[in-house]
Amino acid sequence: MPTVLIADDDIPNRLVLQAILERQGYCVLQADDGVQAVDVFRREHPDLVLMDIKMPNMDGYEATRQIKAMSTDAFIPVIFLTATSDSEGLARCVASGGDDFFTKPYNRILLQARISALLRIRELYNTVQYQRNELDNHQKRFDREKQLAKRLFANIIETGSLGLPYVQSMLSPMSLFSGDILLAAPKPSGGLHVLLGDFTGHGLAAAIGALPVSSVFYGMTAKGYSIAEIVTEINTKLKMILPTDMFLAACVIDLNPGSHTLSVWNGGIPPVVIYGEKEQEITRSLSPRHLPLGIAGDESFNRRVEMIEIRQDDRIYIHSDGITEAANPDGLMFGRQRLEDIFVKNADSAELFNEIRSELIKFQDGGAQQDDMTMIELRYNQQQLEDTVFHDKAQSKRAEQPSSEWDFSMGLSADLLGCFDPLPLLIQSVCDMQGFRGQRQQLYTVFSELFTNALDHGILNLDSTLKGTADGFAKYYMEREVRLSNLADGSIKIYVAHQPNAEGGLLTIRVEDTGSGFDYQENQVSLESNVGHSGRGIQLLNTICEKIEYMGNGNIVEVTYRWR
Amino acid sequence: MSVTSEVSTDDNTITIKISGRFDFAEQNEFRDCYYDTSPGENTQFIIDMSGANYMDSSALGMLLMMREYLGGNTANISIINCSPDIKNILTVANFQSLFTMD
Repeated sequence: MPTVLIADDDIPNRLVLQAILERQGYCVLQADDGVQAVDVFRREHPDLVLMDIKMPNMDGYEATRQIKAMSTDAFIPVIFLTATSDSEGLARCVASGGDDFFTKPYNRILLQARISALLRIRELYNTVQYQRNELDNHQKRFDREKQLAKRLFANIIETGSLGLPYVQSMLSPMSLFSGDILLAAPKPSGGLHVLLGDFTGHGLAAAIGALPVSSVFYGMTAKGYSIAEIVTEINTKLKMILPTDMFLAACVIDLNPGSHTLSVWNGGIPPVVIYGEKEQEITRSLSPRHLPLGIAGDESFNRRVEMIEIRQDDRIYIHSDGITEAANPDGLMFGRQRLEDIFVKNADSAELFNEIRSELIKFQDGGAQQDDMTMIELRYNQQQLEDTVFHDKAQSKRAEQPSSEWDFSMGLSADLLGCFDPLPLLIQSVCDMQGFRGQRQQLYTVFSELFTNALDHGILNLDSTLKGTADGFAKYYMEREVRLSNLADGSIKIYVAHQPNAEGGLLTIRVEDTGSGFDYQENQVSLESNVGHSGRGIQLLNTICEKIEYMGNGNIVEVTYRWR
Repeated sequence: MSVTSEVSTDDNTITIKISGRFDFAEQNEFRDCYYDTSPGENTQFIIDMSGANYMDSSALGMLLMMREYLGGNTANISIINCSPDIKNILTVANFQSLFTMD
C-alpha cells in the first residue's frame, strides 16, 4: 500500500487525517514541523505528502521546495492543507511546488478522491519515467555499439590499397554503414584486383554481408587466385547467407601490367568506362554481362571474364548506380548522359575525376542523398602498377623455421587442366613447408611462368606472336579459352625439391608437359620471344633464377632458385 | 494504391500492374498479388510496368522473391511495357536471364 506523510504541528488535526487514511489502507508517517517533514521524507520515501502551511522551524512552502528538490527523478505529489482559500496563498502553494491543496475542514470522500487521483498520476509518471530511462539507455548502448561496429567494419574492410598514386575514389554512404563496398588488393604476380559492390539496401544488413566478401576477396587475391575464381567463391558464400531478395551487384577487375590487359567480371554494375588518353574520349564501355552475386546457384553461375588490352595512361572508371541516380531537389536524376557529357567536355584528363565529383555535387544542389554513391578511377601506369608492393598477408606462420629438405610432385591430366588452376595451391604448399621470407611474389612469378608456358605452348599450342597485333591479346585469350575447354589429351607434371644449405637453400622446380616441345639448342632467339602469359617471360626467369635448363625435346624445363 | 492485379477470364494469365514508384513501400501489396493465387502449370504471370516511373534495387529483390515463390526456374513471368529507365535498371542487373522481357 502507498505511504502517506502528514506534516502538521496540530496534533488533533493529524490524528483525524491518520484515522481517515488508515481506514483506506494507507501507511501513515507523521511529522511535527517542516524540518522533521524533510527528514522523514529523506529516510522513508513516502509516495505522497500532506503539508500544513504554518509550522514552527520551517514552514510548508520551504519544506515542499526541499522535498521537490530531493525528488527530481520521481513524481511525489504534495497536497497543501490550508484553512484559507485566498487566491494569493493558493498561488504560493503552487509556486513552491505543491500539486494540489485541500481546505479544512476535511471531507473524507473528497480527500480520498484527490489522493487516489494524484497517486494515479504518480503511477503514470513513474511508468513514463522508467520507459524514458530505458529508451535513453538503449539509445546510448546502441550508439556505442554502432560506433564500435563502424570501427570494426572499417578495419575489416580496410580500404588501405585505395591510397595508391594511380587510384582516385569516392565512397559516400547515405547511412552510417554503407551498402556500397570498394576493395583493392595488389596481386602476388604484380598488378591489382579491385572490387566495387552495391548491396540491395543500406545499413547494418548490407554491412554484415560485406564482411565475407572482403575476406574472400583479400584472402584469395593474396594467394594468387584469379578473379573468375574469386567471384565464384563470393557468389557461393552470398547465395548461402543472403535472403532471396538481397544480392550484391559487383564489378571485379584485374589490372595486369605484365600483359597490359584489363579483365572484367561485371554483374549488375553500370558499364565500366575506359577513357583513352590518346583519343581523349571514351574508347570502350564494358556492360554488365552477369547477374549480381548471390542470385545464381553454383550450377548456373557464369564466371566468364571479359579481357581487353589497356594502354599507358588510359583511365578506367567504375561507379555504382547511386551516381547516375543521384537526384536534384526537383527529383530529376543525374543520369548517364550528364556523366558522359563530362567526358566529352573535359580538356585535361587529370581533372576528370574531380570534374565528375564537382558536377555531381553541383547537380544535387543540396538535395537529400537517396543512395550510396561510389566511384573509382584507375589510371593505367605499368611502372607504378609493377611497383605496387604486395603485402604478404598469407605469409607462413612458420617463417622462422630452419631450412629443411623436402620434395613433392604433382601430375595434372587434361580434364583437370581445363578447370583447375594449381598455382595458388602450389605456392601455398611451398611457402607452408619453407617460410620463404618475403619471397612469395618472386616464387609466384617463377611457378606462374613455368606452368603457363607448359600449358599455353606445350599443351594448347598457342602462338604468342598473336599477342603482337592490335587486338591480339583478346584473340589470344579467346582462343586459349576455346582450346582449354575442348582439351582432351595431354598432361603436365610438376616436381619441386628443396635442398637446405648454410645461407638458406636451393629450390629446384621441374615442369614437364606432353607437348611436342621445341628445338631449344637451335632456337635461342625464338625462345626469347616465346614469352609466357605475363609477357615478361624467359628474361624475367633469368633474372630471378640461378639456372634454367631445357631437357628432353624441349618439353621439360628445370630451374634452380637460390634463397637466403 | 499503386499495385493492382487482375486475373484474365480464362484463368491462365495473371496481370500485375505497377504504377508510380516501385520500391520497398509496395512490398506487401506486390506480394499479395501472387501469394493468394493458385497458379496452374500453365499460368502466366505478367508484370505490366506501363504506369511505373521508378524502381530501385529492393524492387529487384521483390521480383526475385516472386520468382522463387512461383517455382524458381520453372516460373513463367514476363515483364512488359517498361520505360527506358526501368528497362535499363533491369538489364544492368541482367534480369532478362531470369524473366521474359519484351
